[in-house]
Amino acid sequence: MEFAVKKFEKCDLITISGRVDSYTAPNIGMLLKSLISDGQMNIVIDLEKVSYLSSSGLLVFVNAQKSLNKQKCGRIRFSGTSELIFSAFSLAGFDKLFDFYANTTSAVESFREF
Amino acid sequence: MAMQTFPGTFKSLEPISKFIVEKAKDAGFSAKDVYAIQTAVDEACSNVIDHAYGGENLGTINIRLKNLNSKLSIIISDTGKPFDPEDIPDPDITSPLEIRKERGLGIFFMKKLMDEVIFEFSPSEGNKLTLIKYKGS
Repeated sequence: MEFAVKKFEKCDLITISGRVDSYTAPNIGMLLKSLISDGQMNIVIDLEKVSYLSSSGLLVFVNAQKSLNKQKCGRIRFSGTSELIFSAFSLAGFDKLFDFYANTTSAVESFREF
Repeated sequence: MAMQTFPGTFKSLEPISKFIVEKAKDAGFSAKDVYAIQTAVDEACSNVIDHAYGGENLGTINIRLKNLNSKLSIIISDTGKPFDPEDIPDPDITSPLEIRKERGLGIFFMKKLMDEVIFEFSPSEGNKLTLIKYKGS
């Protein structure tokens, strides 16, 4: 699993590739925690190149959104989510908690209203 | 029958997935079913490390696959402490985010994605979890 962070005017974009499982999810968790503690409220996570997402990966995203909710602002939005990866969100009932965009451009654009 | 033994570490999850995906594809499952089987096995093996062994590098994970005409059986064995997935209640996936308890999500995935999940324990052989997916189900 690899990831990269790109800063935009209204949000940060995290691009992840490879597997997000119990081995790799803690790295994403640490990254999200550090971005949020640095004051980043709006985050796009691009999953287009993610080949597998386990429940531990989902929980990392959910816990990051929970910590944003405590601050009463900030959203995590996803882009490039394939049907198989989305099926993990919906099986867990997390599909209603997040917004999903077709690509990074539309997800980053969605934060312009803020 | 195919069989492989992996070290009980989270780093083993990727080679375990590769092994399972290859065998599930060979057994003729669709891409959706292959992904479901991969998820169920990945969650089961994570639980072996987390709950049966209670940490990494404390034992091995043995995986056997039986590809039959009607179904694929995957038997996951470990020598950790007894861990019956049925003892963990399903998470309430409709409850609000702030009060939702996440324990048991991996087991919930396993039960939802496979047709049968059978747990057995014997003091001499340890935990044996059988995951079954029927072909054409």
